[in-house]
Amino acid sequence: MIKKELTCVLCPNGCPLEITLEEGPTPVIKEVVGYHCKRGPEWAEQELINPMRTIASSILVGGGDFPLVSVRTDSAIPLASIAKVMEAIKTVRVKAPVRIGDILISKPADTSCNIIATRHVRTAS
Amino acid sequence: MTNFYDVIVIGAGVVGNAIARELSRFDIKAAVLEQELDVGGGTSSRNSGVVHSGIHYKPGTLRAKLDVQGNAMMGALCSDLKVKIQYIGKLTVAQEEADIKTLHSLKEQGEANGVPGLSILNREQMERLQPGIGGLMALHSPSTGIICPYGLTIALAENAYVNGISYHLGQQVAAINRTAEGFDISTRQGERFRSRVLINSAGLYSDAICRMLGIDEYRIYPCRGEYLILDKRLSGSLSLLVYPAPHKGGAGLGIHLTNTVDGNILIGPSNEYVGEADDYASTAEIMNLLKKEGHELLPGISAADFIRNFSGLRAKQAPPSEGGFRDFVIESRKDIPGFINLVGIESPGLTSAPAIGLMVRNLVEELLPLPLKDSFIAEREGRAGFFFELSPEEKADLVAQNPDYGEVVCRCEQITRKEVLDAIQNPLGIRTINGLKYRSRAMMGRCQGGFCLPRIVAILEKEFGYRPEDYLLQHASSKLFAGRVR
Amino acid sequence: MSAAVSARQNGCDNVLLLERDRILGGILNQCIHDGFGLHRFGEALTGPEYAQRYIDEYEKMKGEVMLGTIVLNMDAERNLFVSSRNGFTKIEARAVILAMGCRERTAGAISLPGTRPSGIYTAGAAQNFINLQNIMVGKRVVIMGSGDIGLIMARRMTLEGARVEGVFELLPYSSGLPRNIQQCLNDYDIPLHLATSVIQIHGKERLTGVTVARMDGNFKPIQGSEWFVPCDTLLLSVGLIPENELSRNASIAIEPRTSGASVDDTLMTSIPGVFSCGNVLHVHDLADWVSEESALAGQFAVQYLNGEISPPQKSIPILAGAGVRYVLPQSISGQRDVTLSLRVASPSRNRVVKVNDGERLVANKKMLRLHPAEMIHIKVKAEKISEAGRLEVSVA
Repeated sequence: MIKKELTCVLCPNGCPLEITLEEGPTPVIKEVVGYHCKRGPEWAEQELINPMRTIASSILVGGGDFPLVSVRTDSAIPLASIAKVMEAIKTVRVKAPVRIGDILISKPADTSCNIIATRHVRTAS
Repeated sequence: MTNFYDVIVIGAGVVGNAIARELSRFDIKAAVLEQELDVGGGTSSRNSGVVHSGIHYKPGTLRAKLDVQGNAMMGALCSDLKVKIQYIGKLTVAQEEADIKTLHSLKEQGEANGVPGLSILNREQMERLQPGIGGLMALHSPSTGIICPYGLTIALAENAYVNGISYHLGQQVAAINRTAEGFDISTRQGERFRSRVLINSAGLYSDAICRMLGIDEYRIYPCRGEYLILDKRLSGSLSLLVYPAPHKGGAGLGIHLTNTVDGNILIGPSNEYVGEADDYASTAEIMNLLKKEGHELLPGISAADFIRNFSGLRAKQAPPSEGGFRDFVIESRKDIPGFINLVGIESPGLTSAPAIGLMVRNLVEELLPLPLKDSFIAEREGRAGFFFELSPEEKADLVAQNPDYGEVVCRCEQITRKEVLDAIQNPLGIRTINGLKYRSRAMMGRCQGGFCLPRIVAILEKEFGYRPEDYLLQHASSKLFAGRVR
Repeated sequence: MSAAVSARQNGCDNVLLLERDRILGGILNQCIHDGFGLHRFGEALTGPEYAQRYIDEYEKMKGEVMLGTIVLNMDAERNLFVSSRNGFTKIEARAVILAMGCRERTAGAISLPGTRPSGIYTAGAAQNFINLQNIMVGKRVVIMGSGDIGLIMARRMTLEGARVEGVFELLPYSSGLPRNIQQCLNDYDIPLHLATSVIQIHGKERLTGVTVARMDGNFKPIQGSEWFVPCDTLLLSVGLIPENELSRNASIAIEPRTSGASVDDTLMTSIPGVFSCGNVLHVHDLADWVSEESALAGQFAVQYLNGEISPPQKSIPILAGAGVRYVLPQSISGQRDVTLSLRVASPSRNRVVKVNDGERLVANKKMLRLHPAEMIHIKVKAEKISEAGRLEVSVA
């Protein structure tokens, strides 16, 4: 049985949470204290059992007015999948023009997200 | 590959380049070997930029003679080379009664050296020149000036190059052998050079060059001076140089403030013997002292006004136990005919440089015939000041003629794309970002390149094909980047 | 852009947006991480996406823009001296809104002892190289300062294959958001060393490492606590400074606590018709608040043009009291509602931020978590302050 401290990031209150949990292949949360709303313990559970993240990075663009198009995941993915998703992002090349929102990689590394462009890249004159 | 020259100068500092420029008037084959990737990387660029009047040197010494002569030559030289110089004058201030005698001795000494225009001022006269100044009396030396030291060093090199002197940069002399004709020089980079006459202007490394020829009598003791640079915001505070009268065995660092020709103020330098000829580190102790002095001497100063720290090394011949100064060594060696040796050119080396150039030219003439060229180009192209210093009308005209003048790259100093391009495309070229900085002034402002370096990199990449691995800060292994992201 | 859009929305049909870069968006263009627009648009957008919303809006309104155009100087009559490839000209303006943002504090400005090798960058400059120019600045990184820019770059460098040795923060607490501590440092096992700072740089050509040391209560290194951290890159995240060069040269009164212009409740500076907003007024942590403040500036600028802002009968000063580092605006007229922006001096929990006129409580806000890195806003109603003498904001 161990105790972990986390600052909840769901709202600016930033409640300092103290979570008591049983470690193991599937950790079991026994108690959460310090929250001010019921979203706290739900978030703590998600965060400790299967933390989800969004990431942003860049994809190489050919023939554009920028060498890289900035991209992000359009929904949260497990923290553990980030490395594999980054591999996909690093190996893909796209061609200008690119529009914000274009799906550049669909469901990389068995995640349910898409990698979408976050800036326009025009064809270089 | 052997490069055969009539004359080789080792060291592309302000003195080496002044010598080279003098030699470039003549129809001979001459070269400068410089270990760094650009000229002026040593003491020449790292000093207060003062053009000394000559009051501080013992009459009859080379320091006295060459300084006064150099001072007198500097105005015309800077005009030809388009280098900024301002003869703003200096007040040497007596803070205590005992100092007044010193002022009179300095005046006498200066007059014996041929320094023009010296006068002792009373408080009222001092106040008129520098309102709010402290002290009892002051010696006014109107021929003291300020100059851009790296600007002069670079301009001398460019002009020498344009007039036919070969510059071999990034060549560090490793061994020198004497031959029948003169000298056989090999460098660490694997190059070989031969010359009839060899001139040692290697500054901090002049003793190492001496030893390569079996001359053991000289040793250089590097003595570091740290500086802080202040924001241009304060530039109006000082109208002329103000130094305290020197104290024999005085305590403290005698730190002072110096205007630069570009509107910054320098605080420093300190005085500390260091072990290596390339120990340019800044120290917390000295910087704190400099800041304290800054706050005392300039009441309006704030923490945000300190924008940069740097240091320089003096090539002292006198060891720490002796302290003080020894006279310049500028000799044509009788034991090694053809070898002209310059050792210990510390202050006033910058001011003396044009005169040293002449003196060494005369020494070379004793060794080789020097037929005058009729194609010598005395004037350098361009203008002495920056675009930002022009009037609005002049600016509008230039931008209309060349849109590159309208595109500001360095926001803090308002340096334009045209000036950056000119710096990159100067006759000697650039191999380093610092080379670009010293020629254009970009990256010398408050943000220290935070805003403009990305823009400069974009220009170098787009217009000159630079790849990430091509950018060096100053030295051969000072890469800026690790490669591409993708 | 927010000010320009707002000025158009408020009825001014002669709005000119001057931008020195070749594209609109400012620093947002290189902020490719998300977290922008949570308040403004209810979405977690990246910087470029957030910027594009405003670019599209302004374009729809057919707002006028001059790109690649820098304002070199402004005088007290609101004449702007601008330079671009098209020429060096003077622009006359009836109202000016200053929104020039800020610059980063440099190694030179903090007098970092040691050598000056390559490999030292401010976090924002490194961000520009990596995100916009496809240039990787180094492989083994130390980050000085735990502000959000430093934390964001810690993650970015790590995701791009660099090794971040640690983040070193001078203060005993981090100045970044907890979300970023978790997602930029903890997720990647990057250590955060509090009350520890870089005290010396090593390396004659490229950086070879830094000496760090623990700091005592006076921010002086504790003897014997030093250790060497090998690295080839040092990223500095040691503060942002509003870029008020233009303002100072025009003799606009600057507030030392913010390094931005001193303004009233119409965001007007000491020059009539010149307004200031965004990071150049005071450094913000959320772009959403920058946009909100700037929209107000646009609105007031138009009111000024319409003669609707009369010089106030009185000027009520607002002071930063106990626990408050600064409050903005620095003075108000008492004629209109105003939202005060402030930052607290140190982190705390369960406090009340109070706005007092002497003994009288004018407004208050209960907060569970207060942190210097998070700007606090308090609305104050006109009727509560119309008769006020002077206001003081404090943390109780």
